[in-house]
Amino acid sequence: MSQSTLFYLANLLVYGGVDAIACLGLSMQFGVAGISNFGYIIFQAAGAYTAAVLALPPDHANGGFQSYIGGLGLPFPIPWIGAAVAGGLVALPFTLLVGRRLTGQVAAIGLLVTAVMANLLVNNFVPLFNGAAGLSVVPQPLDKLINPQSEVYQWGYGGAAVLIAVAIYFLFRRLTESPYGRSLRAMRDNSPVADALGKDLLSQRTAMLVLGGAAAGLSGGILVGFITLWSPAAWGYAETIVIFAAVIIGGLGNHKGAMLGAILVPLGFEEATRFIPAIGAPGLIPALQWVAIGLLIVLFLWFRPQGIIPEPRRRIFAKAQAQGAGRAEVATLAQFAPRARLPSPADGPEREPGPILSTKEVRVSFDGVHAVDGVSISIERGRLTGLIGPNGAGKSTLLSVLAGTVTATQGRILYEGQDVTRKPTYLRARAGLVRTFQLASEFKRLTVVENLLSAVPAQLGDSFRGALRGRRYWGREELAAVDEARALMTQFGLIEYADAYAGNLSGGQRRLVEIMRALMAKPQLLLLDEPMAGIHPTLTRKIGQSLQSLCQDGMTILLVEHELAFMDEFCDPVIVMAEGRVLAEGTMAELRGQAEVVEAYLVG
Amino acid sequence: MSLFIASIGFGIVTAAVLALAAVGFTVQFGVTDVLNLAYASVMVACAFIALVVNHSGQSVWVGLVVGAVAGAVISLVINRYIYAPFQRRGTSEIGVVIVSLGVLLIIEFTVQALQGPNNASYIMTQGTSFAIGGLLLTTVQFVIIGLSVAFMIGLHLMLRYTRFGKAMRATAADRTLARNCGIRTDRVVTLACLLTGALCGVAGTVFAINAGSFGATSADLFLVLILAAVYLGGPGQPYGAMVGAVVIGVATEVSAVFITSDYKYAVAFIILLVILAVRPRGLFGAGANS
Repeated sequence: MSQSTLFYLANLLVYGGVDAIACLGLSMQFGVAGISNFGYIIFQAAGAYTAAVLALPPDHANGGFQSYIGGLGLPFPIPWIGAAVAGGLVALPFTLLVGRRLTGQVAAIGLLVTAVMANLLVNNFVPLFNGAAGLSVVPQPLDKLINPQSEVYQWGYGGAAVLIAVAIYFLFRRLTESPYGRSLRAMRDNSPVADALGKDLLSQRTAMLVLGGAAAGLSGGILVGFITLWSPAAWGYAETIVIFAAVIIGGLGNHKGAMLGAILVPLGFEEATRFIPAIGAPGLIPALQWVAIGLLIVLFLWFRPQGIIPEPRRRIFAKAQAQGAGRAEVATLAQFAPRARLPSPADGPEREPGPILSTKEVRVSFDGVHAVDGVSISIERGRLTGLIGPNGAGKSTLLSVLAGTVTATQGRILYEGQDVTRKPTYLRARAGLVRTFQLASEFKRLTVVENLLSAVPAQLGDSFRGALRGRRYWGREELAAVDEARALMTQFGLIEYADAYAGNLSGGQRRLVEIMRALMAKPQLLLLDEPMAGIHPTLTRKIGQSLQSLCQDGMTILLVEHELAFMDEFCDPVIVMAEGRVLAEGTMAELRGQAEVVEAYLVG
Repeated sequence: MSLFIASIGFGIVTAAVLALAAVGFTVQFGVTDVLNLAYASVMVACAFIALVVNHSGQSVWVGLVVGAVAGAVISLVINRYIYAPFQRRGTSEIGVVIVSLGVLLIIEFTVQALQGPNNASYIMTQGTSFAIGGLLLTTVQFVIIGLSVAFMIGLHLMLRYTRFGKAMRATAADRTLARNCGIRTDRVVTLACLLTGALCGVAGTVFAINAGSFGATSADLFLVLILAAVYLGGPGQPYGAMVGAVVIGVATEVSAVFITSDYKYAVAFIILLVILAVRPRGLFGAGANS
């Protein structure tokens, strides 16, 4: 091979490594955590700029032909580390946009627009960024030791870029395949439900923005050290779309797909056009290249939305069985009752055994409509309390306000003696106040057993750090949790679907998954919103008995249901709501004796 | 001071262009439920088609009409043959937004491939200038303002007083419910795409007239203004978009007096970010917690 071919191949390694690192970062953010970061290119640009100004001498040193801040002339590897740190730090302000509440389209627009504006700023602001000219003659790493033009240097650089990409691949895979990764995927599939199961969405999103931003920044730093240029024209907002195209085409939700996409799209496109003869007007080929990327996105999302390498179905249950879990006796339902609370000093000498939850004049208004209009109730410990009322009575809204999904406009909510009116949903869930939803809310692209495991509170591996420590740290606990899940799935007759995607089950089965998932959280107070809708009557009775026995073991349940026969058999007391207010409370027998209750609801 | 007043004049013209674009965007969003980020690229495509007509010897106003027709057709095609099939299949909202980014690339760079990388201008005169109380505007700018006002009034009358207008509002509020009430929502969506597409085409052409010269990527930044006006007024709210357009248009041009005109879009950007972070349903948007 000729000298120039060798140099070209070394170049390919560098670009391939850089693109792979960038794609891995977005794969983590978008493919795993579901954050549509349309401003991703900003992070790469910021990292590249930081690496450049850390490596460059002060800006008057070169005769002042370009201006920038910094110019510290620091040796390798500080510019690369700085690039990763800068990419991560730039992510922090964006957490305002993709925080706990703002998601999806709104955050995506904010990020896209920020990328457009950032490029405008960089193109025009000379003192900081040297304007549209960008920065040039950026010193290359270790250029004093090895001649950057030498073959060894070029191959070494390419090798380093690829090695770093591979290391990041393994790091990200470790995170993704941990309980923490499962929480991220749960957030991706359905954030409000993840919130209600105690996942701290803000912290998860922040961590992923910073981590992905650091990867993007590092990729920019590696690139700028090789090409010695930093040009704003290379960081247009549309470059983000190229990286999106890469991870979509490669396959979302698995990092192999991101690596493949990096090779096919940014690298493949750039290189393929080198070999196309220059036809037509200048700029025609690059323009058509962009058109082709647009077409690829649309066609792939239509014909193969899962990408070339689809997200693997994680057969956690089968693997756990193979590892010898499940030899323990089939657990009883009682183990899902809340763990007995040990008396803590904070509880005072003698804790009041009063109601587990009470509300005082709680009101929820939507644009002047009072969905819940001054409700004061008490939920007694260890009871299976029913909540009935006509459609639009405010039952679901009341459940939402108790769980924190909706904030009370007025009034107070006391849980375990503490005022939780303003407490965020995920903290209430962590305190044992867990709800289910009226509409199907399983995590569709998680298997049944993953759905169940996602609710297990305070898992060792369900934190960034815990996940980094690896399976050896959290694996044993995970196996125990799988055992518990097995007991539940056996009880509810879904054991054969353990490793099936929850989204592929029937409506009734999905309701069961949701009930099981809530039980896995071992709640003190469980709020069930029409759990029996779509479930076969014989199973309904069985579930009713199970819930009753859980209450005997110390759980408290508040349950919304339209099926009065169920209320008759299992619930005591029953609360009747109508038009946002509590109409009556008592046993079903008592309620049937009250004329206004019968009039409002029981007739028909 | 005179510069300040003159900038208000520019602001009113920008607001007029922006109102056409933003109202089209927001109505399209409301009816189709697609956040069509390719909208500004359709604007430029229409401006380019008007340019071809204009350079073939026709008046720019003939070009404007052709541009409007082109906008209607392109919008209908994109929606019916690209976005709607994805929606029917159950692609997530953000998935469709990514599709629209793909469409953006396709349209924007097809225009660039045809037009080349250099900016182009219409062959036209700006007409005589008029000075009204410090405002200095050309005939063409008056025409743009007049056109915009006429479209806004027309749209208002249509939304309030015609069956189609009501059907469109009903479809925007809840498509399934509207269909169950006997509204032929497919036809409403089709007509709405044609109507908003025509607005988009007019907006694109007057944008290019007002800008003096334009290229394939000229409207990238204008998309920031459109989104700012739309979100300020509340997405899906035509009257909100009108108010948003006036606020953003004037704020943008007036700010150019105080900071350099290179950064005049920054004001719109900051307003947009604040509104997204604080009140994403906009100043006039309804429906808490939804």
